[in-house]
Amino acid sequence: MPGLFLFDPLSIFFIFVIAIVSLPSAVYSVGYLKGGGSRFATTLSWILLCLFVASMGLVVTVNNVIAFLVAWEIMSLVSYFLVIADAKHERSVQAGTIYIIMTHIGTAFLVAAFMIMAKYAGSFNFAAIKSACLVMPPQIKNIIFLLLLVGFGTKAGIVPLHIWLPYAHPQAPSHISSIMSGVMIKTAIYGIIRFVIYLLSADTAWWGILILILAIISCLVGVIYALMEHDLKRLLAYHSVENIGIILLGVGLSMFFLSIHLPYLAVFSLIAGLYHLVNHAIFKGLLFLCAGSVYKATGTRDIEKLGGLIKKMPQTAVCFLLGAMAISALPPLNGFVSEWLTLQAFFLGAFKVTGVSRLFLGVCAALLALTGGLAAACFVKAFGITFLAQSRSRHAEEAKEVSLSMKVGMYFLSFLTVAFGLAAVPVMRLLAKVAGTATDVDTKGVIFSLNNFIVNPLAEKGIYLSPLWLALVLLILGAIAFALFLLPGRRKAVSYSTWDCGYYQLDARNEYTATAFSKPFRIAFSFFLLPYRRTQKIRESFYHVKSFVYETHTTPVFRKYGYAPVLALVFGIAKSMRRIQPGSIHLYLSYIFVTVILLILFMGRFH
Amino acid sequence: MQGIVLFGVLACTYLMVIAKRMPALIRNFRYQSFFLFLATFVTAFQERQIDLYIIAGLLFVLKVIAIPYVLYRVIKRTKVNEDLGLFVNAQLSLLSALGLTYLSWILARHLVAPVDRVEVSTFTVALFMVSTGIFLMILRMTALAQIIGLLVMENGLFLLASMVSGGMPFFVEIAIFFDVFVSVVIMGFFLYRINKLFTHIDVNKLSRLKG
Repeated sequence: MPGLFLFDPLSIFFIFVIAIVSLPSAVYSVGYLKGGGSRFATTLSWILLCLFVASMGLVVTVNNVIAFLVAWEIMSLVSYFLVIADAKHERSVQAGTIYIIMTHIGTAFLVAAFMIMAKYAGSFNFAAIKSACLVMPPQIKNIIFLLLLVGFGTKAGIVPLHIWLPYAHPQAPSHISSIMSGVMIKTAIYGIIRFVIYLLSADTAWWGILILILAIISCLVGVIYALMEHDLKRLLAYHSVENIGIILLGVGLSMFFLSIHLPYLAVFSLIAGLYHLVNHAIFKGLLFLCAGSVYKATGTRDIEKLGGLIKKMPQTAVCFLLGAMAISALPPLNGFVSEWLTLQAFFLGAFKVTGVSRLFLGVCAALLALTGGLAAACFVKAFGITFLAQSRSRHAEEAKEVSLSMKVGMYFLSFLTVAFGLAAVPVMRLLAKVAGTATDVDTKGVIFSLNNFIVNPLAEKGIYLSPLWLALVLLILGAIAFALFLLPGRRKAVSYSTWDCGYYQLDARNEYTATAFSKPFRIAFSFFLLPYRRTQKIRESFYHVKSFVYETHTTPVFRKYGYAPVLALVFGIAKSMRRIQPGSIHLYLSYIFVTVILLILFMGRFH
Repeated sequence: MQGIVLFGVLACTYLMVIAKRMPALIRNFRYQSFFLFLATFVTAFQERQIDLYIIAGLLFVLKVIAIPYVLYRVIKRTKVNEDLGLFVNAQLSLLSALGLTYLSWILARHLVAPVDRVEVSTFTVALFMVSTGIFLMILRMTALAQIIGLLVMENGLFLLASMVSGGMPFFVEIAIFFDVFVSVVIMGFFLYRINKLFTHIDVNKLSRLKG
């Protein structure tokens, strides 16, 4: 049916993002699924994977809300089955349950929003809704926006609604985690761009500001939790929360600029957001695949039990390092370019506005920079503890490099992290078209690039950046450093044992741990993390302690103070509802009878 | 003629309300169905419609012969105490039935134009049968009473449909007949199973099954 689909640049861009992550993940899964379960399970997993990718493709291409909802629901259900497919243990099922409940709450909000839109438009088609939105009363628009924000925010993992993400993503098989984290949560961003910017045309200033606030909170909370996390895949999942925040900073900024009539800045911000979106898809996909390789090789995801893997699995280590550098926004990789653009958008915006808005944008930019720094710290921890030093357990000692198909998947994405960093200029030109369609701004006459941003004459002089030149400079500097290292007159590699205060028996247990590494951050953010420790001494006598257990934990603030009370309320109501259900059939029959009589009386009143 | 039928149906229903034992309940149900059959047959004779003859025949075969037979067999085979197990005694049940009749009459007068007295009384009796069906289901302990209660409700609806609106469409009527028969067979079977498992058919005691 020609009337069902919409292939504008925005849709095509998302199809592209889906393809570049799904393809290597599928190749990777050939090796990953080998030796894990029966033929039937493997076949089923392939069928689900195909369905999953197809449903995501549908979500971003259909042109009416009903088809969108159907595709959206298929995507949610298939991903639920993928989450619970991996293991037989309780945790997968629990993670799946949290996921499906949260995602359905989100869908409920979306249905409400779509029905209001359809009621005003008299049609389910995007085009009809778009024209109806022009004449819609503003308070209705506000309601629709809030409904959409909650609906899509649940899927994207914006902070108070992120609760399912660190459970569901790690529990899925790694190639699925890579698609879920890399692409699936981006369909929610598509939803926000498509419905809020494209259809509702984002003309209210507080919408953008609300999204900016939520996004910056997501950034910080995501990265702080990631720092505290020792499960490699959960760490990555928290980073997804952070990066969705960065993407939404671009999107929210774009909405803010649209509402105060700065169309070119809006396009520029949206370019930054979309650029980070594709970058995050690439490097997060890559990191999840690497984490999956580590898991496949060692059988554990706890980084405290890993270590020394760089010698056992050098190729995986290099890929992981590339991904880690990209997510930490180090030049000349792709993450750097997009975070740079987002910061630029903030500064350019801050020049244009005055008063409180200027301060607000400045603070957001500062917090974004802080996020980048914390992310770098987190990946120093993740890479250092996992791959460097000595093995901390037997699992890590016996690790072997993974199979070819898995490596191919990782190599492809590693290549893309470099390519999207170096080819920033052409990519931006393409993204300008996408952002132009989404915001209804004609971008033909404007050239967006890193170097000359036409709208702001200041930028032309002050900001100069070319990733290619940067890469060249880095290469030259690296070569110089290497030459200095090889200078004659220096003794070659010296191998010594570490100075150990005369203890003579240093082993892996004396190594720096992830907990120790993250301690300064735990103290710095203790107002939010609320860390507590638990110690347990087992004594033989007062003077002789036989064993000593020391644990340190952080309080899950959102779960404890946000979700637990609501859950308790729901269960409390459910429990009191039980009282009217004593199990007697006679009583149930009389309920029906009484209801009928009451209804008859009720009808009689209106006669 | 209609007056006689209505009186018969009403009397049977009252007898069911005060019945204390299962065979009495089934017997009165049979009489009630017989009066309904009479009514349908007479209408068929007056209007000379083949459809109505078939419906009357089915009514006779199913409700007067087959269903009571099945139910008799079930209680014979389960060999339980024939007591129905009344939550309220017969005298109070009779009083409640009177109350229900009065309420049905009020409701009927609200719903139907009070000019047509036959129609009002038909409506009253039909509503009374439906409410008595529920009354039996709620206030009798054994599962058999629940089955009969359902059948009485169905009879009430049949009366309402046939005498007030000239009957439901032919195929619907036939479908309902078979539905009722099949459901009675199934429920009879359940009754048998419940008795086998718990050695009683006292629905009141099934509340322990609740999770």
